[in-house]
Amino acid sequence: MSSSPPPSSAAASPSCPKKMIALRSSDGETFEIEEAAALQSKTLENMIDEDCAGTPIPLPNVTGKILAKVVEFCSKHAEPGVDDESLRAWDAEFVNVEQATVFDYILAANFLEIPTLLNLTCNVVADMIRGKTPDEIRKFFNIKSIFSPEEEEEVRRENHWAFE
Amino acid sequence: MPIKSLIHDMRSRSSRAVHDGSAAAAAAAAEEAAARAAAEADCLSRSCWANMPQELLREVLVKIEASEGSWPSRKSVVACAGVCRSWRHLVKEIVKVPEVSGILTFPISVKQPGPRESLLQCFIKRNRSNQTYHLYVGLTNALSDDGKFLLAARKCRRPTCTDYVISLHADDVSKGSCTYVGKLRSNFLGTKFTISDGQPPHPGAKMPKSRSTRLVSSKQVSPRAPAGNYPVAHISYELNVLGSRGPRRMHCTMDAIPASAIEAGGVAPTQTELPLSSVEFFPSLPFFRTKSNRVESVSSGPLGSQKDGALVLRNKAPRWHEQLQCWCLNFHGRVTVASVKNFQLVASPENEPAGPQHEKIILQFGKVGKDLFTMDYRYPISAFQAFAICLSSFDTKIACE
Repeated sequence: MSSSPPPSSAAASPSCPKKMIALRSSDGETFEIEEAAALQSKTLENMIDEDCAGTPIPLPNVTGKILAKVVEFCSKHAEPGVDDESLRAWDAEFVNVEQATVFDYILAANFLEIPTLLNLTCNVVADMIRGKTPDEIRKFFNIKSIFSPEEEEEVRRENHWAFE
Repeated sequence: MPIKSLIHDMRSRSSRAVHDGSAAAAAAAAEEAAARAAAEADCLSRSCWANMPQELLREVLVKIEASEGSWPSRKSVVACAGVCRSWRHLVKEIVKVPEVSGILTFPISVKQPGPRESLLQCFIKRNRSNQTYHLYVGLTNALSDDGKFLLAARKCRRPTCTDYVISLHADDVSKGSCTYVGKLRSNFLGTKFTISDGQPPHPGAKMPKSRSTRLVSSKQVSPRAPAGNYPVAHISYELNVLGSRGPRRMHCTMDAIPASAIEAGGVAPTQTELPLSSVEFFPSLPFFRTKSNRVESVSSGPLGSQKDGALVLRNKAPRWHEQLQCWCLNFHGRVTVASVKNFQLVASPENEPAGPQHEKIILQFGKVGKDLFTMDYRYPISAFQAFAICLSSFDTKIACE
């Protein structure tokens, strides 16, 4: 296959002709992402392969606020020459945000199929859960538990034994 | 339309209906609708975590189950199963039985067969002052007394026998409690023992008739129904040919486990739920249809007679060490104090040629301190059965000076 010339884009400079992919968020904002970074997302990878990457790719499930951060994440992870330790530290900072934002990251990572981001955010949630009692978990995530009396008794007995 | 204005709209409509003198029913209906809308608004403004897609929740729970493989941090897995129905369902799906994973997770784990691949290392602490015994699973491979509590037993001496009541609660060890698991009963001489399970070991299990059982009509539900009483094993102790100068002989018939369990492809019955105190038990009604095959007749016949197909365990004979002038068994470092109570149980090839499956140590018990003993067990017996067998070793007077 012959190499395609980079699309003319305001962002690409002559000395650094990287192929850019345009993305559009649910609220109409447009973002540009390097192809290498976009390939972190299996969803985008499929679209690029099928050559639908010409026009801005609409992402109706992701808001501009979140898409901006996702682009930042993918770009960082596509950067060459970053050592594992600094990347880990960068990741830790990246998810050092409000609960609700972490939730949005998870949904975006799931929708866009970004394994690295999904793994990172799921780990964050797992950390939020570890060490808590069922009551504390419920309070933290605002979850209503509707158990039958029999289930309640089972749960009570299990947790009494486990936390003994 | 924003929810808030919808509520306002409905409320004003309902108040107008009252002023118009319309039927109270219409006003009530509008009030109800307003309340529902208000609740909806409340839900929307709540955190979204309750609505996390199942597959993502599963990812998170899989991570937790994988990372918290040992106690005490394993309690996080149990906690997750107590959050709500969907979490519970997922966790129960993800957690594997001890036979496969080698890890104990929920209380029912102590009733399920141990790991196939290796011995699960536990220890027992004896409390002479209140005649109780506590079973723990070790936290590390090191020989220490740091463990996660599993079961407790309390000795109850009676005129003609001794009972060891076994419970999931460290302090509440009584037969009427909802944490009752089963018991060990010895005969008057302390030579024969029966292990009883508080719940059926497998479908079709029958309980023996006893004087203490009452016919309960199907309409009656006692608030704290007595627990069931299903004999699951018989243990006997005998002197060997050397009399009390030699190690005693142990013979365990595991009525609830078929001999085929230790053959290739064999399975042992696995209970999946513990009984609840509200469940009615009908001790003497012939409620369970007898299923064919295996071990449904669990009456206590004369010991030594082979129950059709039941697994028999015998203790490995120690060898006499001429230089040390004592009986020796290789406990692989897990037993450090000589004691007549120490033993290793292997499956006995009762009616068939011996094979490699009869070499595997299924239960090992021995002293490591004044009131501290190790107990290592594996498939096909459970922690409960292993614990009860070890208790019999404490109790029997055979070959004790």
